[in-house]
Amino acid sequence: MDLPGSIHDFLLVSLGLVLILGGLGVVLLTNPIYSAFSLGLVLVCISLFYILSNSHFVAAAQLLIYVGAINVLILFAVMFMNGSEYSNDWNLWTVGDGITSLICTSIFISLITIISDTSWYAIIWTTRTNQILEQDLTSNGQQIGIHLSTDFFLPFEFISIILLVALIGAIAVARQ
Amino acid sequence: MLEHVLVLSAYLFSIGIYGLVTSRNMVRALMCLELLLNAVNINFITFSDFFDNRQLKGNIFSIFVIAIAAAEAAIGLAN
Repeated sequence: MDLPGSIHDFLLVSLGLVLILGGLGVVLLTNPIYSAFSLGLVLVCISLFYILSNSHFVAAAQLLIYVGAINVLILFAVMFMNGSEYSNDWNLWTVGDGITSLICTSIFISLITIISDTSWYAIIWTTRTNQILEQDLTSNGQQIGIHLSTDFFLPFEFISIILLVALIGAIAVARQ
Repeated sequence: MLEHVLVLSAYLFSIGIYGLVTSRNMVRALMCLELLLNAVNINFITFSDFFDNRQLKGNIFSIFVIAIAAAEAAIGLAN
């Protein structure tokens, strides 16, 4: 988006904070309904982040599909759970939880090390000189449409077939 | 700027792995799986915004990831 730099940075920082808290809420909240609503908040914030990154089509697709369909499906599944599966006692912090948190922290620290050790500016410089500057008049959605109908036509058809097969399979499984 | 967004997506990824491994419930595991896929999508969109502003190949791939995640959530929740 063509916002002034300070507003852009402020929005990014606030979205990042909400994402951090929402992610913790999905994993750590014991009530699954609260956890599902926290997931909805995370997905909406990610969609707003996509708008800030000039990807309007993917932001709309995320809002429609993830929040509108997948999150609603998850809420349906949460509502159908019995009360006996609710309210696990949070004091059951097992040894496995501790080991997993250690491993996840080490994964996160190694990812941060890799990110800060990569010279991104060299990559930006080498890709800027290779880009063709002719597609300046098309908007984001038009550019994606051009790609989906010419370069990525075969994956597009395959993914339509995959979605059809997945939904037929889900109905066939749920009927029994 | 680029690194902060990548660190954010790395954080969501590791939180998703932790939630996926330590969840006793299948619906909670599915929710953490959606977190994982969204973290990867943030990465794709950020790279497409910074490096590939004219051809948007990262955006195309994240559309496919969203579609696959929808199919897998439908099958996973039918059980």
